[in-house]
Amino acid sequence: MLALQSYLTLAAIVFAIGVMGIIINRKNIIILLMCIELLLLAVNFNFIAFSYFNQDITGQIFVFFILTVAAAEAAIGLAILVVLYRNKDSIDVQELQTLRE
Amino acid sequence: MAFIEIIFYVFSSILILTSLGVILFKNPVYSAISLILSFITSAALWLLLQAEFLAIVLILVYVGAVMVLFLFVVMMLNISDVIRTSRFNKIAPFALFIGLIIVGELITLIWIRSDQFSMASSPIGVLDTSVGNTTLLGTALFTDYLYSFEIAGFILLLAIVVSISLTLRRREGLKRQIVSEQVNIDPTKRMKLVDLKSEKN
Repeated sequence: MLALQSYLTLAAIVFAIGVMGIIINRKNIIILLMCIELLLLAVNFNFIAFSYFNQDITGQIFVFFILTVAAAEAAIGLAILVVLYRNKDSIDVQELQTLRE
Repeated sequence: MAFIEIIFYVFSSILILTSLGVILFKNPVYSAISLILSFITSAALWLLLQAEFLAIVLILVYVGAVMVLFLFVVMMLNISDVIRTSRFNKIAPFALFIGLIIVGELITLIWIRSDQFSMASSPIGVLDTSVGNTTLLGTALFTDYLYSFEIAGFILLLAIVVSISLTLRRREGLKRQIVSEQVNIDPTKRMKLVDLKSEKN
């Protein structure tokens, strides 16, 4: 029988992979946005696992709202990315230092 | 029961491999496709947890809309600028270190505290099994969480407005209608009535 811990462990591994992706990736903002999607997926996994093992539908409601917010975030993030590429001709994370200079 | 465990382990190894693919592929198109596969795999795992509606929503909304948007943007940009090159190995050990620490901490906490989860091995309590998952979700969403639902809708509207206003490009020299000027025209300035004398024979 699968226990709650199996699902939580899987979600923890996926979350850590997302964090590693954010650190590794210094070249490309698109991959950064994809890693944020991975993090949200791991969080949703936890909500659904607890919702099943507590037999409580509220966890799934929260996943619903997280999906909504993540979709909005992806749309706005990609719009910002397109504007950035239009203005700077690059989506390199290393080159975005205008505020630092 | 054993069959379910086999499904869980196969799908979770696919999920971990595809998540690693997202962060390790050099080409962002491969990363996006790998992320699509990991969404589909986790939808299958959510089906194991009896969240049928959310599994379908994950495939429809994420794979069908969000990831298509990602692929669209990746392909709209110039691909040679986008492909990742070096500077990758220098930071990788540090990232691996951080990742291992996070996994270690979370897993230690989960397994140490696991005897305190009363529901750890099997579900406790009962949901109403006479109706489906979608009915349960809809009932809770439209009664207890109605205001949150409205706010979620408003956030989506906000996302539409923001992304359109960010990417809208006004070009110079474009001929277009200006409706307010058209409406506010004074007819006496535009039209001159001329009396023509009709000829009499």
